[in-house]
Amino acid sequence: MRVSIQINGRLYAGEVEARTLLSDFIRHQAGLTGTHVGCEHGVCGACTVQLEGEPVRSCLMLAVQAGGRSLQTVESLAGPGGELTALQRAFTEHHALQCGFCTAGFLMTADALLRDRADGEELTEAEVRAELAGNLCRCTGYEGIVAAVMAARGDYADGVATPSPADSGA
Amino acid sequence: VVAASRALAEDACELVEVDYEPRPVVTSPRASDLALMRWSRQAGDVDAAFGAAARVVAGRYALPRLIAAPMETRGAVAAYAPDVDLLTVWCSAQDTHRPLAQLAHILDRPERAIRVIVPDVGGAFGSKGTVAPEVAAVAAAALRLGTPVKWTEDRLENLLAASQGRGIEGDVELALDAAGHMLALRARLWSDLGGYLLTTTPVPPHTAGTLITGCYDIPAAQVTVVGARTHKVPTGPYRGAGRPDAAYMLEALVDAAARETGIDRVALRRRNLVRRFPHRTPTGLEYDSGDFERCLDLALKLAAEAADRIPSRGTLCGTGVALYVERAGGAFESAEIELRPGGRFAIASSSSPHGQGHDITFAQIASERLHASLDAIELTFGDSATAPPGVGTFGSRSVAMAGSAIAVAADRLLERARALAADALGADPGAATVDWAALAGAVDPPLRVGAEWRSANAFSSGAYVARVALDPGTGTLTVSWLVAVDDAGTLINPLLVHGQVIGGAVQALGECMTEEAIHDTEGQMRSGSLVEYCLPTAAEVPPILTGEVQTPSPLNPLGAKGAGEGGAVGALPAIANAVADALGGRHVNPPFTAEKLWRVLHEPAAAGRS
Repeated sequence: MRVSIQINGRLYAGEVEARTLLSDFIRHQAGLTGTHVGCEHGVCGACTVQLEGEPVRSCLMLAVQAGGRSLQTVESLAGPGGELTALQRAFTEHHALQCGFCTAGFLMTADALLRDRADGEELTEAEVRAELAGNLCRCTGYEGIVAAVMAARGDYADGVATPSPADSGA
Repeated sequence: VVAASRALAEDACELVEVDYEPRPVVTSPRASDLALMRWSRQAGDVDAAFGAAARVVAGRYALPRLIAAPMETRGAVAAYAPDVDLLTVWCSAQDTHRPLAQLAHILDRPERAIRVIVPDVGGAFGSKGTVAPEVAAVAAAALRLGTPVKWTEDRLENLLAASQGRGIEGDVELALDAAGHMLALRARLWSDLGGYLLTTTPVPPHTAGTLITGCYDIPAAQVTVVGARTHKVPTGPYRGAGRPDAAYMLEALVDAAARETGIDRVALRRRNLVRRFPHRTPTGLEYDSGDFERCLDLALKLAAEAADRIPSRGTLCGTGVALYVERAGGAFESAEIELRPGGRFAIASSSSPHGQGHDITFAQIASERLHASLDAIELTFGDSATAPPGVGTFGSRSVAMAGSAIAVAADRLLERARALAADALGADPGAATVDWAALAGAVDPPLRVGAEWRSANAFSSGAYVARVALDPGTGTLTVSWLVAVDDAGTLINPLLVHGQVIGGAVQALGECMTEEAIHDTEGQMRSGSLVEYCLPTAAEVPPILTGEVQTPSPLNPLGAKGAGEGGAVGALPAIANAVADALGGRHVNPPFTAEKLWRVLHEPAAAGRS
């Protein structure tokens, strides 16, 4: 079947089998390997992407279901020169990743959460922990991840978090 | 089955029919009549000590099989180049050395005809140390077909077929005099090794046997370890690899002794701590250094702060205290440092990372010794074509061993550089620092120094305290807080060590709350998804207060021990003892699921069975 999906603002089109998972389309057809596949049954959250702004597990969708729609993967976060966003910088500063395999999923979940709550009431640590409970990390014990998300809250307060060129290469 | 796509290969697998003739199934190591491994050790007059004891305390304990479950499953790509007779294998592994040696052995090829590349690896926790049989099959297929072959296992395959951890049972007895001095210990351990041995399968039960006297000065011990064959996948190292097993059984037994003698559990521990180093254990280990009482004191201080600050909700609350000692380091690793143009340094290390942060830690070591900027140092790992000789990344050994090799190489490089700078640049040979950029421009060929570091095991240690609350209506366990105090020797990078402690402790939390590779009576695995094999999430992690004690190891130039496993070792017995405390002294084996605890609370007869 022919499918075309807008990923990170660019249109990717190709022939897929009906059974092709969205996660496989993203990795193998679009060549965007920042999205990782950890369980393929919707538990670990490593493959989380944003479909029209909402976090979804790309292993639980077929590629054809995303046809004609728009999604963002972890590659959409950093700027064109690789400048990290405030959230990504916070992950580095708070030792929020060890092996890094789960990180893309956490970033996409946390980014959606922080955008959603940018102009609402203050996010508490308990809320952040509950919101991140759909993503598994086996290395860090979550302490650094939760700290990074808490630290990045302020950067979303104006509604948009943009990459900061000053920190490129940091 | 090899096919042009994964989907086609999976379809083709469905066409394979295997006829099995059912045989009597053995799932319990105690019920097995075949030992694949035996180990025993006796020192001191154990029988006389038990005969003379004022009190003998006995316990029967068990830890279920666990699954390392790194977020990245196992996988490999193999490609054969017939023109140069070179097989290249990219694999998700802990290091290049063991896959290289094992593939050479399995494929009957010389090591020089195989190149192993270990790129970024998504976690291992011991489970990617020995080469997977599947990787050998992928390599053999690539050789036979003459085309590159790729294998990435799915999560079901990882849960069912990767080596599992723990799976050990033990009967342990402690002889004490009237004043509560530990006189002797007897331990009989049965380890569930599975259907066949991987190269590392016998290591964890052996480690458990050797560490069974823990932090205590027990003059006599008799330990027997039976590694039994069962009809399951093989076991192997999983974070702690025998250390949590020993600490769990010993610390539960010490709590039982405290309850039976009426001696306060902290006082009983304090009375028996090893205080002089080096300490030779009756099981044959030599503890290089430590200050177990300082760890205990700091843990109790942090526990008092936690108790003041963090409420325990629930009517049934308990506190658990546990100490541990961890075998780290040992064997050898090596490093090569080359001075590059512009005063930069290329360091090749034999120990490759999979999340531990070797690059920054090793760069710190070199930077300090060379008086060079961190930015000037570049580490390379994970390619057997360029990695210097070593053993691998496991057993909390990378800083003590590979880090020491870098320290020695850096010291040698600095010494040679000073002499060369005096000759070539007219520098003062007594100067502490070298103008590296100038020297790099003046020497040809580039200055290059290698070093190998060998030493005996260093021993990390620690003290943990846990507070738990049980809901008697549902049996649900909540860990209210955890205190973790670790002595990993001199720390190079405290932030990374902290990350290791928290990560290890949360793996122990999972072991306590939910994790168990459940096999039914026919030996069928029933934990085939991450819904059944349930890992802890951010929402379940309690406040963890950490503290550090640093007694330098005398065995290496860094004073380093090891930090990779302490959290997984110490948190398990602390939480288990807290659960027993909440249950009024009834000890239950993990995982402490709501159903299990509810049954213990509401069906008293279940306590002995759990």
